[in-house]
Amino acid sequence: MTRQEIEREIKNIFQREFEIENPGFDDDLREKYEFDSIDAIELLLEIERMLGSELTQEEKKQAMDIRTINQICDYIERIIQTRSKAA
Amino acid sequence: MPLIKIISKVYNFLITSLLWAYFLFGYLFLLLFLFLPAIVISKNVSAALQNINHVHLRVFFALTRIFIRRTKFEIPDEVRQIRSAVIVCNHISYLDPILLVSLFPRHLTIVKNTFFKVPIFGWFLKNTGYIPSAPNEMMGAAMINNLEAIKKHMADGGIVFVFPEGTRSRDGKLAAFNKGVFSIARYCKSPIHLILIKNTNMLFRPGTFSFDTRPFNTIKLNLIGTLEPDFKSYNFSVSSVAQNARAVFEKNLLHS
Repeated sequence: MTRQEIEREIKNIFQREFEIENPGFDDDLREKYEFDSIDAIELLLEIERMLGSELTQEEKKQAMDIRTINQICDYIERIIQTRSKAA
Repeated sequence: MPLIKIISKVYNFLITSLLWAYFLFGYLFLLLFLFLPAIVISKNVSAALQNINHVHLRVFFALTRIFIRRTKFEIPDEVRQIRSAVIVCNHISYLDPILLVSLFPRHLTIVKNTFFKVPIFGWFLKNTGYIPSAPNEMMGAAMINNLEAIKKHMADGGIVFVFPEGTRSRDGKLAAFNKGVFSIARYCKSPIHLILIKNTNMLFRPGTFSFDTRPFNTIKLNLIGTLEPDFKSYNFSVSSVAQNARAVFEKNLLHS
């Protein structure tokens, strides 16, 4: 999955699940869109669906400090890379 | 008949005071003699506290049945036997949550986060495993740990009941649904049972102190639907599950 594909998919998720149209990639999600922890959980479940497999507890915990869409994309890229190295 | 009205008001006040006295002093008694030992002895503290709370509130409703003869309860077995699921309810009276606790020994629910700051009571809520309503109260790893605890609770047969409107309806109309509980159901991959609560607001009206013991009233809890979404489907959306659930309540409220 390329960075562009990840970004496109994340934007789709934000539009479909959180009704946020065209969010800025460096916007603080909590401050600007009142994104809370339940939303973060929902995002994690969407990421699991996107990756086609469940996230580990450790991976989930790492995601809870994410604040921007760019950080979400970095996080997904990092997981894909780690998993492909491990495979 | 002003005299009858006065007598009726006095009777309502006395019965209400008696029931709330049991409710409050019962908690103090339980706190000293059951909750504290449970914390020391029990391996699963939250399960023990849930069970004690459940028994206490069962007694509360048994007393309600004894002292308020005109109020009946109609709760079918299909509701009482629900296990390992999320229960979504409408909310019309303060009695709703305690009625649900009286039905389910292993239960969790979402509680207003301000209650967690009340001395002793907040401690009890936290140890029972109840979930604060403002998710910002449990950020980061705590949130994941809490969700994992909820998942285990449901795997052990527990239920999570939630009022997605967030507050009591004053006019019987359904408010917008908060999506949070549906995200919890998705995380735990649990079915969602929809229960319509009727007439608790006739016994204990919002904005009043006393129970209204006069009218012939039947409090009903009806299972009006069960949602078992395909959480893994590409088309799955929490928003649409929340909308479907709300539509089922709307339809049933319209026909009730």
